[in-house]
Amino acid sequence: MRRFLAHRTGTAGAVVLAVAALVALVAPLLIPAEALDVTRVTAPAWQPPGARQWLGTDHTGRSVALLMAQGAGTSLFVGLTAAVLAVGIGTLVGIVSGHFGGLLSGALLRVTDFFLVLPALVLAIALSTVLPRGLGTIVLAIGLTSWPSTARVVRAQTLTIEARPFVERARALGGGHGHVIGRHVLPSVVPLVLVNATLAVASAIVAESTLAFLGLGDPTRISWGAMLHQAQLHGAVPRAAWWFLLPPGLAIVVVVLAFTLVGRALEAVVTPKR
Amino acid sequence: MRLAGRLGGAALSLVMVAVLGFFLFRVVPGDPVVSMTRGRPTTAATQEALRAQFGLDRPVHEQFWSYFTGLLRGELGTSFTFRRPVADVILERLGPTLLLVGTSTLIAVGLGLWLGVRAAWRRNSALDRVTTGVSLTLWAVPTFWLGMLLMMVTGDLFPSRGMRDTDTPPDFLSQALDVGHHLVLPSVTLVAVVCAEYALVMRSSLLEELHAPYLTTARAKGLRDDVVRRRHAVPNAVLPAITLVFLRVGLVVSGAITTETVFSWPGLGLLFYDALTGPDYFLLQGLLVVTAGAVVVMNLLADLLHGVLDPRVKVV
Amino acid sequence: MSAGLQLNNLTVHYGHKRVVDDVTLAVAPGQTLGLAGESGSGKSTVAMSVLRLLPGTARVDGEVLLDGEDVRTMSWGRLRAVRWASASIVFQGAMHSLNPVRRVGEQIAEPMRLHGTEGSVAALLEQVELPRDKARAYPHELSGGQKQRVMIAMALACRPRLVIADEPTTALDVIVQAQVLAVLTRLVAEQDLGLLMISHDLSVLAATCDELAVMHQGRLVERGRARQVVADPRHPHTAALTAAFPVIGDPAHRWAEPAVPAEPLLRVRDLTVDYGRTRAVDGVDLEVGRGEIVALVGQSGSGKTTLARAIMGLRRPSSGRVIFDGAEVPRSGRALKAFRRQVQLVLQDPASALNPRHTVFDAVAEGLRVHGLRGDEEALVTAAVERAELRPANLYLEALPHELSGGQQQRVVIAGALVLGPRLLVADEPVASLDASVRGEVVALLLRLRRELGLASLLITHDLGLAWQIADRVAVMHQGKIVEQGSVEQVLLTPSHDYTRALVRAVPALGPGV
Repeated sequence: MRRFLAHRTGTAGAVVLAVAALVALVAPLLIPAEALDVTRVTAPAWQPPGARQWLGTDHTGRSVALLMAQGAGTSLFVGLTAAVLAVGIGTLVGIVSGHFGGLLSGALLRVTDFFLVLPALVLAIALSTVLPRGLGTIVLAIGLTSWPSTARVVRAQTLTIEARPFVERARALGGGHGHVIGRHVLPSVVPLVLVNATLAVASAIVAESTLAFLGLGDPTRISWGAMLHQAQLHGAVPRAAWWFLLPPGLAIVVVVLAFTLVGRALEAVVTPKR
Repeated sequence: MRLAGRLGGAALSLVMVAVLGFFLFRVVPGDPVVSMTRGRPTTAATQEALRAQFGLDRPVHEQFWSYFTGLLRGELGTSFTFRRPVADVILERLGPTLLLVGTSTLIAVGLGLWLGVRAAWRRNSALDRVTTGVSLTLWAVPTFWLGMLLMMVTGDLFPSRGMRDTDTPPDFLSQALDVGHHLVLPSVTLVAVVCAEYALVMRSSLLEELHAPYLTTARAKGLRDDVVRRRHAVPNAVLPAITLVFLRVGLVVSGAITTETVFSWPGLGLLFYDALTGPDYFLLQGLLVVTAGAVVVMNLLADLLHGVLDPRVKVV
Repeated sequence: MSAGLQLNNLTVHYGHKRVVDDVTLAVAPGQTLGLAGESGSGKSTVAMSVLRLLPGTARVDGEVLLDGEDVRTMSWGRLRAVRWASASIVFQGAMHSLNPVRRVGEQIAEPMRLHGTEGSVAALLEQVELPRDKARAYPHELSGGQKQRVMIAMALACRPRLVIADEPTTALDVIVQAQVLAVLTRLVAEQDLGLLMISHDLSVLAATCDELAVMHQGRLVERGRARQVVADPRHPHTAALTAAFPVIGDPAHRWAEPAVPAEPLLRVRDLTVDYGRTRAVDGVDLEVGRGEIVALVGQSGSGKTTLARAIMGLRRPSSGRVIFDGAEVPRSGRALKAFRRQVQLVLQDPASALNPRHTVFDAVAEGLRVHGLRGDEEALVTAAVERAELRPANLYLEALPHELSGGQQQRVVIAGALVLGPRLLVADEPVASLDASVRGEVVALLLRLRRELGLASLLITHDLGLAWQIADRVAVMHQGKIVEQGSVEQVLLTPSHDYTRALVRAVPALGPGV
């Protein structure tokens, strides 16, 4: 913990994430439903920032500031759940293919390598086009396509650990698969998985925004990516409506960067120095 | 022997791509015809006709067999929206994408590797901090957003839609200049995002190498420090970096989709967007198979290239 | 101005840590000086300071005179001119000290081009007895011995007056080690060079150098004529170092009590193990009696480690049988697990044989937990730890491996084996990675366990000296086969097989004529 705090950038990232999480949790409780309902807003459309609307309004007259606060939840939720799904699959595949040799391991390795080189976004797009629109689809599409890098790392770590003499000693003592995995492999893989999960959240948030931008998001929910989709669709660029374009993008960059920095700091903490 | 193994592995991957392309669009719940015609008034009879036209009324294994043999002949089915063979539509859009992706990749690789080397060279210097910081930030930037920003910031300086203007004179030079002018914003967008990744990869690869004992040997021989780096460290560090660059070719593909969408660049990326808004399943399937297949082939090439460049890897 | 190397009061600090403390020594052309010490004694730092190769964080005080000129105060240009031309280094671990993606010929030629030395790579390769076409090879295409020869050729490329050899043969097998040492000493003598040779292995130094200096915790504790230092060490640390390299045939170095022939506990019959197409173990017959210590000796790649794994049931044999206490050892299932309580493994490197996250208590109790022996865990663990001579046990139980010394770690591994009350220990190079001064204690512990518990051992080692020290019988393994076995005296003093003879001959003798 203290070693983590020594990484200034990592600490800054953690603070940013705490603020973002707070906003995401509190916003839905404080924002009245009619403020975000297209049919009930009263403010004019495309209003630049001012005293009343301090981030301006969108093409329907809704407050960009309120949309931003409301969208935080969706982006973070999708990022976190998709990352948990991806890292979960990746860890399982990595440990199984690293621990058990033979045909199964070979087949899993092939499949991992296959999916590793395929453009994950293309697959995610294909999946979310085929499945019914919704939050679940997005999580599934991102989660199911971004596990291979975790699987690769976890497999490598599993192989490293299994090659260590203390695992051979455990086997010689009579320890079976369960003992070796539970007592030796898993504990040494966990820190690595944590780092990977943090980085996976970062890329899942970018992926979510991309899918939403392409119009594949959940049409009933506000997210930062969906806001940018609307901005593109309704011509924010030709109108030079920077107040509708900048905030969602910046929010994505800041949160993703924060996750990346936290991940890198964690990585520096958990990897032993040479 | 190894070469045969690599070729066999790539062939297997291509088959897996084909299988994936088929089942992704069929095993998933939901009738393709229903979702393709979603939002349009269609009678049951029309739907039935469509099913028959696309062969969806036949058993799955028959469908797969005709799809697979079609693939081997270079046939990808018929596009629902274009009412033309998918292969023809894709071929038509290939040129612009190759131009955009090719230009951007060349610039990104050159710039990224150079920046990575410089940063690792002077670790913790101002240049290193800036390069790493900017790279990490760019990595966090959604490609499409960067494109939209560039478009808004540059205003009328560069054209932001399509690949050429309709009123350009038809001679080669004017046409080339026009395309080049249109190419600026999309390629800057793509370079910015991809190059960041390459710089980080190159940097960590070289940092790894700088610990190697053979560099001490080289210094002990009396070589100047910069010669040690230039002649011993960098060539060895570039090898893994180049492989990684090829491995991330998928990144470029993903970037191309959103970039082309933002700038209406008439390539495969924009076609992708059109296909998914349709949705046009056969077109989407064709695009998936073609891009995934291309990535597999690129990786095979990278593998072979690595074998040629690195004497430790015996490919042939 | 004196030729050669002269170190005056050399002191090196890393931060506040003093790694070299007031070292003064000299090597003139034609002289050979051996610098001995354990890992961390500062001997390699001395070597690196000669050409100013230490990292920027090191603070170097005193004088490093190379041909009368202080290396510490040279300009960068002068330093680069001096490097390799006045003194060169044969680095430890040729595997990593050669650039992996450049041909070795280019690497040998590089300093010649740089310093404008005449000569040819082919001639240099000839000097180190390598065929000239090896110049076109990449490092990974050469064997360990060949790579070390390339390093020697490279060191001689600019005709320096001084060569520093830092553990030049550490990773090599005895026979190859003897060949490389012969090449090095011949060239040094022919060209009248100064040689500063650094090693942890006193016998290697004694066999190649006229003079010996011993380093301990950064200080020079003893120096003198090599034969004298070895035969009559004055500093206790030197004595511990000499004890670590027993002289074969010397009764003073034979610690094992004469053993009575015992009935067999373990019998291996016609055992064969294949790795893919290579046959690692080829029809081996071997016996270990109750309470007997049998040494299985051979070079790396001889198949001795694979044989041990097969006996433990960790590696499936292709054919043959392993019989323990009269019953055939099963290859899987509950019976195999039961067998593993009786036979325990002790590995070479205790630091990696212990999970760095587990405390001593957890590591020792692991066997109990695997076998579901819940009983009085604490009492059993404490007893085992004390048996392994970590007393009092409660001082150690909560420690993590990295807080212990190498010798203590190995005792923890042994305690982890003892806790299950085994009847046979399979010890794979149990002292090879230990520092010389703790080696003797662990060897003595193994003997005491045999005496007090009747514990038999199968000792796998490349070290004939260790076999002489504690084994009752020796089996010599070569290319997967046991080529000779018998009592220690019989095999090591009057070897009958050619391979055993070559092996015994290659062991460095302590100083010319001893």
